[in-house]
Amino acid sequence: MFKGFADWVKSLKNEGVEHIASEERRAFLKLGLVITGVYAGGKLLSVVSRVREVYADIPEYVDKYPYKPHYSMVLRTDRCIDCQLCMEACRKTNHVPPYGWRTRILEQHLPSGEGQWTRRFMPILCNHCNEPPCVRACPTRATYKDPETGIVKVNVKKCIGCKTCMAACPYDMRYFNEEKRAIDKCDFCWESRLSKGKFPTACAKACPAGVRIFGDLADPNSRVYQLVHDPYRAIWVLRPSMGARPNVFYTIN
Amino acid sequence: MKRNILLLLVIFVGIGFLLHAWPSFSQEGEEEAGYPTYPIIFTKPLKAVLFDHKVHVEKAGLSCEDCHEDIFKMEAGSTQQNEDFNMDSLYKGKYCGVCHNGEMAFASNTRCASCHIGVMGYERLLKKQHSSESSSEH
Repeated sequence: MFKGFADWVKSLKNEGVEHIASEERRAFLKLGLVITGVYAGGKLLSVVSRVREVYADIPEYVDKYPYKPHYSMVLRTDRCIDCQLCMEACRKTNHVPPYGWRTRILEQHLPSGEGQWTRRFMPILCNHCNEPPCVRACPTRATYKDPETGIVKVNVKKCIGCKTCMAACPYDMRYFNEEKRAIDKCDFCWESRLSKGKFPTACAKACPAGVRIFGDLADPNSRVYQLVHDPYRAIWVLRPSMGARPNVFYTIN
Repeated sequence: MKRNILLLLVIFVGIGFLLHAWPSFSQEGEEEAGYPTYPIIFTKPLKAVLFDHKVHVEKAGLSCEDCHEDIFKMEAGSTQQNEDFNMDSLYKGKYCGVCHNGEMAFASNTRCASCHIGVMGYERLLKKQHSSESSSEH
């Protein structure tokens, strides 16, 4: 009986996905499924998982770590409790004025059933993108991608304070520093710590919950590499549609 | 004329007394509920954890003696003066960890932001308290 059913299913012709309403497609997308075929007058649908798309080991990312070390951060975002010790440490270490920021924490209310929500905090910082929109936008080449480490830095002497990079940054991670008369941003603590042989960044060191994992993405022994390349772990980046290819990754658990 | 002034005086004093007593009216919820209705906020060792009596009494069905005074002192927020009031102690089954061990209630090392409201949540609460206080003064 089941064999007959299998044969019947195989004999069906794909009627094309063009006639499916976009609401229905979207409903499936929310479940993590893509409709690839329609059979038996729309009664049967063939679907495939699109879950792999959010994993980091998609061709776009895998083994494309052109820097040595290729500095990167993984944020285990569900562990964040918004104690803001990272922000305090960053302010102190990098002399960030009260009106500025190099890292921030966002609060999300994720819906969890009727009228209920769960809180989730999400730290954000410069994503040190592989294709940084800010670098492309800078008219004086004051902001640049360090050819060795991939860190997006600002040359204060070249910066004219036009703020074009601020507008170009998809993550709002640049501010105008009145004292420097230049744009200031996260440099993964390069000036204050890494260049002096101190590891990791001030924020990662200050975090009591182990949210911020900092390291070399090109080193298979590093924790960031292992987290990003874990095939059973969902990893995502913020605003992937910008095509900036960030080096700051998010995960839970 | 004199009587009118006296009447006005009585009314003013009455209103003043009412307004003075207003803040204590809002405490009446506590008498009725049998537990503190204001939020218990811990700010040590870091900001901030919110404890809600309502959830623990009405949903979890706990009585006062279940936690007081063996696990937590009655005085609100006094436990945070203890040096070992941290997550490690919770994992070892102290304080919240007496119940939040994954068996009686969700484990202490899960669902962090259920109790941790952060600096943002703390400041929001302070603002709320401040605005309710200042509105009762007017």
